[in-house]
Amino acid sequence: MIQVWLRNFLFFRKTFLVTLFWTTLEPLMYLAAIGFGLGRFVEQIEGLSFIEFYYPGLLASTAMMVSYFESTYPSYTKLTYQKTYLTMLLTPLNPNQILFGEILWAATKGFIGICGVILISLFFGLFKVQVYLVLPILFLLCLVFAAFGMIVTSLAKNYDSFIFSTSGLIIPMSLIGGTYFSINDMPLFMRSLAQIFPLTHAVSLTRTILYRQLSMSSLIDLGVLIIYLAVFVLIAQKLFSKKLIK
Amino acid sequence: MTNAVVAQNLAKDFDGITAVKNISFEIKPGECFGILGPNGAGKSTTMKMIYGHVVPTKGDLFVLGLNARTDIKRIKSKIGVVPQEDGLDVDFNSLENLQIFASYYGVPRDIAKARAEHLLSEMKLSEQKFRHVEALSGGMKRRLAIARGMIHQPELLVLDEPTTGLDPQARLWIWNYFENLKAQKKTMILTTHYMEEAERLCDRVAMIDQGVMLDCASPAELVKKHIGAEVVEISSGSETSYWKSKLSTLKIDFQDHENKLFAFFPNVQARQSFIMQLQNIHYVTRLANLNDVFLKLAGYSMRGDA
Ligand SMILES: Nc1ncnc2c1ncn2[C@@H]1O[C@H](COP(=O)(O)OP(=O)(O)O)[C@@H](O)[C@H]1O
Ligand SMILES: [Mg+2]
Repeated sequence: MIQVWLRNFLFFRKTFLVTLFWTTLEPLMYLAAIGFGLGRFVEQIEGLSFIEFYYPGLLASTAMMVSYFESTYPSYTKLTYQKTYLTMLLTPLNPNQILFGEILWAATKGFIGICGVILISLFFGLFKVQVYLVLPILFLLCLVFAAFGMIVTSLAKNYDSFIFSTSGLIIPMSLIGGTYFSINDMPLFMRSLAQIFPLTHAVSLTRTILYRQLSMSSLIDLGVLIIYLAVFVLIAQKLFSKKLIK
Repeated sequence: MTNAVVAQNLAKDFDGITAVKNISFEIKPGECFGILGPNGAGKSTTMKMIYGHVVPTKGDLFVLGLNARTDIKRIKSKIGVVPQEDGLDVDFNSLENLQIFASYYGVPRDIAKARAEHLLSEMKLSEQKFRHVEALSGGMKRRLAIARGMIHQPELLVLDEPTTGLDPQARLWIWNYFENLKAQKKTMILTTHYMEEAERLCDRVAMIDQGVMLDCASPAELVKKHIGAEVVEISSGSETSYWKSKLSTLKIDFQDHENKLFAFFPNVQARQSFIMQLQNIHYVTRLANLNDVFLKLAGYSMRGDA
């Protein structure tokens, strides 16, 4: 498993400059444009300034997006055109070890994205010590969406297949998961829908850790994320192994 | 010593499509065993069952004494595979390809490096070691894939069409290399659709077509058993039926294909006494080879996906 992770890391090292670019420039643009720009028109939201409110949302949605995109397009290329997984499978590695290595890698990349957001947040005066407690939660979220990405990759027929999961699930989640506005301001139907999404729970847990007191609902948030991870991993194992061994 | 590979009534169905039907064979240690057949015959499927990418639908398969159904991980640690599609990692250069592949086997880094350098020089790839695999020629890629298959010093080499698509020089180089391995008593199983390749390299050959094993023996035995020693190709044209009946009355074994007759003889004398009777007709004489055996056993018609 770790060998698979390492293979990806070795490739990642070659493209380090590109990474530096997106990990820092994207959060800079989001925090500036949405946090400062848009935030000027908002007085207070759930008792926080808009940029403070938005910051946990940006952390969680970055974790989700980066991990999901890493475990879809590049993984699909490795599964089909590059035959990277089939080559790994010539060795004693089994499909599960390859899958776990890929999930761990995609989550690592999500984590690198989070570090970029935290770094940039320093310039916006958003630093809080509690951010260290948030890291494991966000890494858990990275794993959830890395596993989800591997499910989609195993089901995909071609690159266009990812449009369905991206536009149908990932983007809506990032919009109504409590990232840009409070889910309490949404109609009941939307609120219930948002509660199904793992991202919503990650945002709420992150926000609580940063600014509030932990409570029973924090435990539920954590539980939901763990259950999602377990279920996604199980499904991914079944589908991925079927793709490799006939 | 246990056999390197034992296949008993091996079969594989892919949702209704039968790729391999009840194939049985044994490969002895130190042997070079060939699986010969046209495209779609079931060669790769048989190989994939040996290296675990395909699970047999029926039958038993033992590789190096281990059951392929239950012990594939240990089998894979002991065999070196060169699949039909190289599957080289295009994100890396030649040296890195070998090092990364070695890491999947858990070969320590310093040992992997030394072995990779050694194999690259043996494969005449030292000058290409920092080149990305996409920049390599077809022959270089294949040599790199062979080097990759040997990075963990396997007991058995599994080579799926190792020279298909290569130019004659590249093919010749690989043949020589395999002959060296044979001299070192490496056990090899290779597939090919080149009869000359099987004739040159393989101690024994299994001929398969449409998933069925037609026969299995040494190339010389196969030729002797099915054809004899000599072939006369007669361009019989419009007189084909006349010559066919003539050959039949002379009790000479033959095959016909598109106005051409292939007559088979056990020795030169028999051939000579026959061609004395040939007048005003174009013919060619030559030695019998595996091609003749295959065409006789499998028929001359084109295969669906050929
Ligand atoms: N994964 C698969 N799914 C369905 N059919 C397959 C699969 N792999 C091979 N086949 C079919 O099995 C037959 C044998 O294929 P293969 O073993 O690749 O032949 P060869 O290597 O001799 O060219 C072919 O008809 C091929 O289409
Ligand atoms: Mg094949």
